[in-house]
Amino acid sequence: MKQDEKGVYYAKDIFVTETPEPGKDPKPWGKTAVIGKSQSRIDAYERVSGTAVYPSDLSLPNMLYGAILRCPHPHAIIKKVDTSRANKMPGVLAIISAATSEADIYWSYSKDVKTKLFDPHCRFEGETIAAVAAQTPYQASDALRSIQVDYQILPYIVDEQNALESGATKVHEGGNLVKPEETYFRGDIEKGFAQADVVLEESYRTECQVHTPMEPHGCVAYWDGDLLVIHESTQGVYSVQSNVAQTLGLPLSKVRVIGHYMGGGFGSKLVAGKYTVITALLAKRTGRPVKLFLTREETYLCTGNRPPANMTLKAGVKKDGTLTALDFSVTGTGGAYPAGGTALVDWLIKDLYTCPNVSTKATDVYINTGPARPFRAPGHPQGAWALEQMMDALAEAVGIDPVQLRLKNIPSYSQAREGNPPYTTTGLKDCLEQGAQAFRWNERKKEIEGFNSSKHLRRGVGMASCLWIAGGGGPPSTIILKLFSDGSVNLNMGASDIGTGTKTVMAMVVAEELNVRTEMIQIEHADTGTTQYATPSGGSKTVPTETPAVRSAAINIKQQLLQMAADDLKTQVSTLHFNGDEIVAKNDNSIKIKISEISGLKKRGVVVGIGYRGPNPEGKVVNPFAAQFCEVEVNTKTGEVRIIDFLGANDSGRVMDRLTYDNQVYGGITMGIGFAMTEVRILDSNDTGKMLNRNWHDYKLPTALDMPPHMESLPIDLPDTEANITGAKGLGEPVTIPTAAAIANAVYHATGVRIRKTPLNPTQLSMIFSEHLKEK
Amino acid sequence: MEEDNKNKHIHLTRRSFFSTMGMGAATVVASNNLAAWASEENKVMDPTEPTKITLKINGQTHRILVEPRWSLLFVLREHLGLSAAKTGCERGECGACTVLIDNVPRYACMTLAVEAQGTEIVTLEGLMKGEELGHVQQAFLEQDAFQCGYCTPGQIMAADGLLRSNPKPTDGEIRKGMSGNLCRCGAYHNIFQAVNRAVELKGGG
Amino acid sequence: MLPNFTYVCASSEKEAIKHLASDGARIHAGGTDLLGCLRDHVFTARKIVSISKLDSLHGIRKTAEGGLRVGALATITEVARNPIIRDRYHVLAQAASEVASPQLRNQGTIGGNICQKPRCWYYRGEFHCLRKGGDQCFAAGGENQFHCIFGGDMCYIVHPSDTSPALLSLGASVQISGKRGSRTVLMEHFHIPPGQDVQKETILEPDEIVTAILLPPASPAMKSSYRKVRARQSWDFALAGTALAIQFSGATVEKARVVFSGVAPVPWRSKEVEKTITGKRLDANLAAKAAEAAVKGAEAMEKNAYKIPLLRGIVEEELIAIAKL
Repeated sequence: MKQDEKGVYYAKDIFVTETPEPGKDPKPWGKTAVIGKSQSRIDAYERVSGTAVYPSDLSLPNMLYGAILRCPHPHAIIKKVDTSRANKMPGVLAIISAATSEADIYWSYSKDVKTKLFDPHCRFEGETIAAVAAQTPYQASDALRSIQVDYQILPYIVDEQNALESGATKVHEGGNLVKPEETYFRGDIEKGFAQADVVLEESYRTECQVHTPMEPHGCVAYWDGDLLVIHESTQGVYSVQSNVAQTLGLPLSKVRVIGHYMGGGFGSKLVAGKYTVITALLAKRTGRPVKLFLTREETYLCTGNRPPANMTLKAGVKKDGTLTALDFSVTGTGGAYPAGGTALVDWLIKDLYTCPNVSTKATDVYINTGPARPFRAPGHPQGAWALEQMMDALAEAVGIDPVQLRLKNIPSYSQAREGNPPYTTTGLKDCLEQGAQAFRWNERKKEIEGFNSSKHLRRGVGMASCLWIAGGGGPPSTIILKLFSDGSVNLNMGASDIGTGTKTVMAMVVAEELNVRTEMIQIEHADTGTTQYATPSGGSKTVPTETPAVRSAAINIKQQLLQMAADDLKTQVSTLHFNGDEIVAKNDNSIKIKISEISGLKKRGVVVGIGYRGPNPEGKVVNPFAAQFCEVEVNTKTGEVRIIDFLGANDSGRVMDRLTYDNQVYGGITMGIGFAMTEVRILDSNDTGKMLNRNWHDYKLPTALDMPPHMESLPIDLPDTEANITGAKGLGEPVTIPTAAAIANAVYHATGVRIRKTPLNPTQLSMIFSEHLKEK
Repeated sequence: MEEDNKNKHIHLTRRSFFSTMGMGAATVVASNNLAAWASEENKVMDPTEPTKITLKINGQTHRILVEPRWSLLFVLREHLGLSAAKTGCERGECGACTVLIDNVPRYACMTLAVEAQGTEIVTLEGLMKGEELGHVQQAFLEQDAFQCGYCTPGQIMAADGLLRSNPKPTDGEIRKGMSGNLCRCGAYHNIFQAVNRAVELKGGG
Repeated sequence: MLPNFTYVCASSEKEAIKHLASDGARIHAGGTDLLGCLRDHVFTARKIVSISKLDSLHGIRKTAEGGLRVGALATITEVARNPIIRDRYHVLAQAASEVASPQLRNQGTIGGNICQKPRCWYYRGEFHCLRKGGDQCFAAGGENQFHCIFGGDMCYIVHPSDTSPALLSLGASVQISGKRGSRTVLMEHFHIPPGQDVQKETILEPDEIVTAILLPPASPAMKSSYRKVRARQSWDFALAGTALAIQFSGATVEKARVVFSGVAPVPWRSKEVEKTITGKRLDANLAAKAAEAAVKGAEAMEKNAYKIPLLRGIVEEELIAIAKL
């Protein structure tokens, strides 16, 4: 490291971006010094040394351990809870249930549906019955087992495909339809099919996927007088704060939620759980800190999922590849309470490809399972499973390459939105073209057809593409930057870093604007007591939401420094600019002042810059786009599928940190591999309705050995200058949307057999291949 | 047809049930007799009386009172403040709690603290050289071999253990060696690169 | 969380046996299966008798007869890496290296592996099933996608062990010590099918422990292999698998032992396949015939019919592969 790189500032020859006049928008970054490079995480040391304290790591003096008793039946009425034995167990300090004063607290399952926190009517396996605080988690667990509960076991329904049949058990009195069927129409669907040269219709199903972040859900809570402090494993401290305050009737100011590090969420930790409130109540009752983290099994039952989707898609295409009509329907379930069981499943059908005639229908039903929670790109991977396999089939039917068919149908505006607003940018064409080129799509297709002759190990390539409905971010966001007198910077932000590298990207923005080395930036974040309001980190919105506010705050500091320097140098602001650790006159190098020598900064000790997220462009849509390509090897005798290669091409606007960017791409593909090949929730069909695979052995996440030997990330670095002042769009969700469909398409290419249901593993494929490939 | 098949199996179940129970009962009687034969000569740890044990962790000796059922993971995290090893499943299925026991990666959640007596235990904290990162840790940092970081301590311990028994693993050996550690964020790709980088760092250092 | 138990670490086999004879005692070797079962409340343990520190149960060494004695406490990793096993008993090394995950292979023992409790999710879950003393096999009419196609009888588990089929294919035997002394039992007789006793997986009496596995001398003409197909590539049990130990004379099969994993409540020896290939030239045609023989008598349940083509595919593929070794 060069001597001058060890200071607060970067080397002097690094260009510092121009400072706009107050009130004016900055120009888009041109050549960047920091942004877009590979920057290892600013908190990497903490994460690899073990000094990062996750909420579940926290140990406070005098702390107790909480545990929750859950209903073992999918549908039951609690007749009686007898805690008399449990109360006498060693180490037990408190038990709360419907029989204690906490019985009167209500919990909101949705805007309109409230039940008691300990409601006697349990509508899913895993519903909350009682909770214990004890001196050790072992004692808490012992106590749970000695609570006697009288259940009136009720008939249940756990198969969403039968939920609307007459005579089906009703989850709620009003029946199993969550809301009237949601429909969407544009154009004339019948005319569209009449215009088509080829019409295909298929049914598809994706299985229920469970988030299972590595850190279980939970918190450590304690009361400091009338202030409730919660260290929660969460994606959004402010949403937890408002959920808890509302449930307990507390002012927001009296609920402080802290969530610095957190072990993954994927949408399942956007809000507080009953467990959060219960921990607070146990802490209140005992006057001691309580740590309550769910067991792994509990996380499978009551912390959400990606609902199963039962889909049919009818599509019409002309010989030249023009799509003429798409007719789609989906039945899904958010479980026992309203939870968006079919939310956004039809979005790609409506919006991804140019098609004048579209009809969709979504039927969301109740069943007796734990409520869904948003799961990384809600609805999209399911819809992509149907649409992208259908596109593949259409391409074959009209004899057009699948990439070309998609290229032919790229819209420049959002067809599904009112008024057809244009996208600010669409890199879908680049994703497809550059992705195909980098993957050697055409060449590999040919090579493979040679390889496959008469072998039972067959290769295939497949691809799929997508957009993500959100990913533009938007207000509100407030960032406070403090520039200290030595030039080092403190960044204050409410948003959580859920593992995507949020903190690092924010530090890079500060570094880019202020020419300060990222090591000199300290970040305070995700604490409702000390950091600014932020919406939860989800929806691929954190980078496009927070980075513009960070840039604004940095510019605000620069503007103040320029004014102070102008005062010191007795000149006009407009004549000055930043150069390394100095402010220099643009036309005379000898007129300059070191930033640390600026009298205003020295006097105050700190310059505070505040940045707000500006509004999104009016009448336009900001969406990220992606295409993925893969190669598989299929064993047609055993039904084993081995993924050999994957490439993800993403247009997420400007690439901020190449290192964390690529990591998202690989991670999204990995999660998509799980969705496609290994993950499925199994509910007992055998008169109990219980979830059978509530652990990481029976519910199979992909392991290191399930990864393809080669993976590649191809960023389409297309700064979206209209979207916001950093040009970034969201990335975390599009990376996982097309994966499963791409794999299914590759399996089809390899075998000629279309697999319409997840998961693509030998339990399904060995049977299908033995039936379909007999002659070959 | 399917229904017939299903019923047939259920039917079998019910019919054969009674004959089996007889045998089960006989077994219980036999073991009661054996109980009378056994005499307990040695120190048996009582669940209600915490027992003092000695654990050697990161080169330091700790004498602590434990219940026999306490896992090594529980003792590390909640009694000794060594919170790098993480609780992911407490069922030996995820690897977040991986530590080295006599140089070999094991799940601390599936190891009773009492059973770990007489072994050398190394946790992530033990790979640090003061404030400096160990080679594997440095490699994970450089390669961005994590996202949320919760599985990372376990991944690093698994990698460190792998390299202790196999200093120059092939790509296949790396995958296999790392296959006892789940990463829900899906950072495997970078984890493999980090293990390769650690081999380089170890060679160079 | 684990329930309470008393714990004793035995310092001799005799002491261990003495403690095991007390009511509700359970053996702790590597502990991986035991602790999982206790955590899931599959059964209770009043007392845990740890045998993990018994030196006499450790180690892998040659026997006077030219075979191998694998101490019951040899870890799965030790078995997988042992040079003699890798060289002469390849099927066992291969099977061992496919068990669970590296960490569990480092902790789990060969003795424990052959004594594993079933992985049936009803048995492990909150179901009072037949095997746990209840009156119903929930798998029979329920989620039986991972259950057996051979040998089911009231209970439809599959045996979870990878090493057991390998050991059986090698003609191994199990050395057992108990209150009444020692005995040696062929692997073939070690496991108990549900038709014989639906609540026991092995012939072990409560006071007995496995002390060693004995492998007969390996013929240089023997080739062996293990193949396991699973729903994911690590930490998973076999959907179906096959252990082959075949003595060739040229391309002709002289003697063969073929044992399946993942398809029956006990490691399932396929005399049908053995008969089909013995004395014949092993080529693609014969492999296809043997694959048909492999599934003869297989009986699918509602959700595991895929195991029939799967097993057929594995057997065909592996027989062709072993002929080329």
